[in-house]
Amino acid sequence: MSAVPVVADVSYDALLDDPYPIFRRVRDTAPAVFVAAANLTLVTRFDDIMTIERDPATYSSDNPASLVNKVMGPTFMRKDGAEHAVGRKAIEPSFRPGTIKEHWAPKFAEICEGLIDSLIEAGEADLFPALAAPMASLSLMEMIGFKGMPWETLALWSQSLIDGAGNYSRDAEIERKAMEAGAGIDAAIEAVLDHHRAHPNPSILSSMVNADPPMPIEGIRANIKVIIGGGLNEPRDAILTLTLGLLSNPTQKKSVLDKPELWPNAFEEAVRWISPIGMYPRRVTRATDLSGVTLAEGLQIGLCVGAANRDDRRFADPDRFDVFRPRQSHLAFGAGAHFCAGTWVSRQTVGRIVVPMLFERLANLRLRDDAPPLLRGWVFRGPVSLPVRWDA
Amino acid sequence: MPKIMFIAADGTTREVTASADQSLMEVALGAGVPGIVAECNGAAACATCHCYFDPAYAGYAGEIGEHENEMLDFTASERTADSRLSCQVHVVAEMEGMTVRLPSAQ
Repeated sequence: MSAVPVVADVSYDALLDDPYPIFRRVRDTAPAVFVAAANLTLVTRFDDIMTIERDPATYSSDNPASLVNKVMGPTFMRKDGAEHAVGRKAIEPSFRPGTIKEHWAPKFAEICEGLIDSLIEAGEADLFPALAAPMASLSLMEMIGFKGMPWETLALWSQSLIDGAGNYSRDAEIERKAMEAGAGIDAAIEAVLDHHRAHPNPSILSSMVNADPPMPIEGIRANIKVIIGGGLNEPRDAILTLTLGLLSNPTQKKSVLDKPELWPNAFEEAVRWISPIGMYPRRVTRATDLSGVTLAEGLQIGLCVGAANRDDRRFADPDRFDVFRPRQSHLAFGAGAHFCAGTWVSRQTVGRIVVPMLFERLANLRLRDDAPPLLRGWVFRGPVSLPVRWDA
Repeated sequence: MPKIMFIAADGTTREVTASADQSLMEVALGAGVPGIVAECNGAAACATCHCYFDPAYAGYAGEIGEHENEMLDFTASERTADSRLSCQVHVVAEMEGMTVRLPSAQ
């Protein structure tokens, strides 16, 4: 067994700009590597992450020092075992495949139609602010059960919570904004909770308040914050990444448009290629051995699914976007008990509604040579700008 | 400790000795049976531990829950009357000699 090696010569900015060459180096160095710029021990190989996610007793999601808990309260995302399962079960009815197909899909299609209606005549747009961000925000708002709120409000809350949860430098302004978002969310819940209690419906707030037993109010507040912090940027980024992958690969785009049954493959490939959540944390509860590397009790580790999804031990030519890749499971939705609750919503919304509608309605949709797309991030990653043109 | 036979889509077989405190998915994963992926590790959220149950043993497999039932509509391989998510089926001693068929894709 050997100690955790250290990589000290990468900058944080390099990670944000393009983490994939760094991921490759870390993956080829050892099963677990301390990356100084991230101030975290990163696990980057596919099989190791699978092993970890099947052993929650050794690798816990529960962390007393977690900033997520400080910013959001006691959420089920940072719990293990029965405590997590109760919360997860309470929200399950809102996320069932049948409910998604029959209840949410028509609503989301309508939102998307409206957004495309409002931009179609312009002939060009940056798809981040013009489509992906409002789409993700409005559909999440609908699913939660919030009413009559501009999409920018939920988007701001989401970003403020994410920034607060990653505020390792304890910046006072970031903390203030996160607390302000939290207060806004508590008030928005308060305003609709009686309605959802009295009129059970498929929304998440209704599922929570009508669960048996009903989720306590502190749990509702904290878990809605997790859902806002973790349910907006992922579909937004997946919409843009799938669009970018197809626009950058015209032959594959043609195949998918000719054979719509390929849309699910294209979606899975997009989130494997550039996973919207690139890393999430776990805590080592007892000294252990991970594929020959010794991990000390109490060590914080980051599971780099963005790296594991490009592990060439599992995926051939992993840096390539290839919708014809043989079907193989990836880690974009995580694994284990915390497997993304929104998986089926995103498959339906992004892969079957939004991106197909975009290509169908915006004729000759194309990238702009004079304004290339811009991608950023490693913990969360996706296009932050995707300028396109079409024939209006 | 019932012996359970897993039959892959290509016909290859694998006999595994199960213990009664496990789910069928855990039995398969523990023995490294190919064909069970189990991305969500038993949360009935991913539909990648789909299997076809021997109808003769259906009485021992327990009821299909509401969530499992809906999830089964989204399996990669065709759902049949014998389909279950193996993570939701608990091993009992009466499963001695049972066969479980695995789909071609998860």
